[in-house]
Amino acid sequence: MGKIIGIDLGTTNSEVAVMEGGKPTIIKSAEGQPYFPSIVAFTKDGEMLVGESAKRQAVTNIEGTVHRIKRKMGTGEKTKIRGKNYTPEQISAFILQKIKKDAEEFLGEKVTEAVITVPAYFNDNQRQATKDAGEISGLTVKRIINEPTAASLAYGLDKEGDHTIAVYDFGGGTFDITLMEVGEGVFEVLSTNGDTQLGGSDMDQALVDFLAKEFKKEHGVDLRDDPKSLQRLLEEAEKAKMELSSTLQTDINLPYITVIDNEPKHLETKLTRAKFEEIISTIVNKTEQPCKQALKDAKLKPADINHVVLVGGTTRIPLVKKKVEEIFGKKPKRDVDPMECVAIGAAIQAGVLSGDIEKDIVLLDVTPLTLSIETLGGVATALIERNTTVPTKKSKVFSTAADNQPSVEINVLQGERPMAADNKSLGRFHLDGILPAPRGIPQIEVAFDIDANGIINVSAKDLGTGKEQSISITGSTKLSDEEISRMKKEAEEHAEEDTKRKEKVEVRNNGDALVHGAQKTLDELKEKISDDDKKDIEDALKELREALTGDDTDKIKEKTENLTNVMQKVSTAIYQQAAQQAAAQQQAAGGADQQQADSSDESWSGHPGDDDKTIDADYKVKDDKKDKKGK
Amino acid sequence: MVSKKTMSQKKKKPAKKDSLNEEIKKLKEELKEKNDKILRNIADFQNYQKRMQKELSYVEELTKEKYVSELIDLTELLKKALDDKNPKEGLKLMLNNIDKFFEKESIKKIECLGKCFDHNYHHAITTVEKKDCEDNTIIEEVKKGYMVGDRILRPSQVIVAKNNIEKNNEVKKNGKNNRN
Repeated sequence: MGKIIGIDLGTTNSEVAVMEGGKPTIIKSAEGQPYFPSIVAFTKDGEMLVGESAKRQAVTNIEGTVHRIKRKMGTGEKTKIRGKNYTPEQISAFILQKIKKDAEEFLGEKVTEAVITVPAYFNDNQRQATKDAGEISGLTVKRIINEPTAASLAYGLDKEGDHTIAVYDFGGGTFDITLMEVGEGVFEVLSTNGDTQLGGSDMDQALVDFLAKEFKKEHGVDLRDDPKSLQRLLEEAEKAKMELSSTLQTDINLPYITVIDNEPKHLETKLTRAKFEEIISTIVNKTEQPCKQALKDAKLKPADINHVVLVGGTTRIPLVKKKVEEIFGKKPKRDVDPMECVAIGAAIQAGVLSGDIEKDIVLLDVTPLTLSIETLGGVATALIERNTTVPTKKSKVFSTAADNQPSVEINVLQGERPMAADNKSLGRFHLDGILPAPRGIPQIEVAFDIDANGIINVSAKDLGTGKEQSISITGSTKLSDEEISRMKKEAEEHAEEDTKRKEKVEVRNNGDALVHGAQKTLDELKEKISDDDKKDIEDALKELREALTGDDTDKIKEKTENLTNVMQKVSTAIYQQAAQQAAAQQQAAGGADQQQADSSDESWSGHPGDDDKTIDADYKVKDDKKDKKGK
Repeated sequence: MVSKKTMSQKKKKPAKKDSLNEEIKKLKEELKEKNDKILRNIADFQNYQKRMQKELSYVEELTKEKYVSELIDLTELLKKALDDKNPKEGLKLMLNNIDKFFEKESIKKIECLGKCFDHNYHHAITTVEKKDCEDNTIIEEVKKGYMVGDRILRPSQVIVAKNNIEKNNEVKKNGKNNRN
């Protein structure tokens, strides 16, 4: 079965989204935009244009271009274009066809079904017309849902029990307020109100007027009279509007904005948020009355509203948010993109209808904290990063840290700190029976497998002998929120010192490994190394060993580098010598050995002679938090 | 004979039941396995999405770096030009360099002046009544348009000549961000 798309069929622009892997994705148009202008045009040559291209040619083809057809839906009023009559359903169908085509291109599969949103105030005729438009375009309309309902779905408000929601939708050209009641996933519209001639473009215009007047005061020329200057001014006003949503002041610089008496003029000014708010305040204030009327119609007081949802790009403006807060007396929700939340809600509804969204499938847990094991020097080596969706399995191959190490200890850790001791230990066990071998040679595969219930199975397998040991840990994903945030906060607070500590251990581990490797090379190749070289190595080795007994990281680092250089010089000499001799193979093997020893930086601290029995394999972590928080 | 028959029937029944139970057990086991596999596939996909997101922002960062460093070079030179009494020669060279950079990135200017309006490449800002040229001819370029390879980076913003301006003035709005 194909995917069902969710369409926000808007007055000026339409947006489309689809569920992918349980997450809504906004579909981009063929022109690369996350929206489709709701414009249809027929050119003189009879070509039909929809969306961006129709918008570009609109002013050159006024009689052949149709805007805002949504306003005519359900009226049956035909539009005559280039001698042919079209119903609003047909025009809307052209837009939906373009959306369908681009969505198919985007998804790489056929799209035949859709959920389409309509304003809450649409009557049955208008809803039927929208449905018909879908059918004409070749889309089976699985459901028509209200825009404010879709927005609430995008915020997951259907899952929060009975409550009352206000959806404040302030777009580019229209303003809508809808009050709804939701219970058991069913939305009921209590009242709607709005202003069809109020939006963000009015703010752009007000800002253009302000800037043009300022310029005129100084230079005596109205920039609005020149379409070239006006266009630049409009674009700059829009940019400034957006910028002032996040900054308190912006520079408006328009070099060469016009030419007066053969002298180029520039527009150069600063605009503060305060000034901007003064300019747009009358527009923002106009949204208050419809909200009050809607409350009155629903017989509600502001205090009865449990949630306020913001929709539309204009709601990004801080003054608008402030106004909403002032009207309803509570902070509005706005973590979903206000321009996309209606389409996202439609996609969520589509997902429910297609069975993509079933509780157990989509609501897969994530690991709240990183899971790792303790390796040489007390470092926590991550196997599963935090925020990984479960069920999942990850494995990594480790080795021993000492020669003839008979067993390794697996200490399973949870937390973000780089050092094992700072994280929470979930359980530990031993894998023994490792055959006597030089350090770094045994291959031990450690696998973490978290199932959908959050049970972690940790296994360690000696790839040489096939011996395996494992434990099962329950309740690791059920940490309390406080515990998780505490651990994250701690990790952030200690980030710097932790990095240093980890580096310290790493330097020491590298030094250790090198000492080991160098000694081995020295023992194995003593006949092939000149006495001078031997002395160099022994000296450097001694110095590094000494450094390792102390605690001076820089010194260990320095001595490690020193020994590395000496070893490199010597091994180069050996290889050169080997090249001259016929028996090259033996020497090459010696060189490879050394490399292997050097690379074994991830290994356990050894337990030579440790013949402890394996710790209880069914060790479980007590999950007392769960009981406390369970209800 | 009879008793033997019933005997064997009695014997058979539990055997059949056992095998059915066995079958149910097997199927249950299989279902459990399949369910687990599905969940794992979904989780894998979600983890893949997360990883792609991370990679995408990384690539974005790299791309940004590349272009910003070009901008930085340019800024430094512009500062010098500002102090130059006669900056024309320097500015010309800088423009040449920018052109070269654009060429390398296959960024092309869209030529439009004097051409017939084409919605594929041009965005009409307004029209002007003009009788001495062909209808739909571009008479002014407000902002230069660019292509990246075969894709429109941004269309040229243009003013178009009309032999007869229509009375219909309904569609005079040209706000770019009329999203709702």
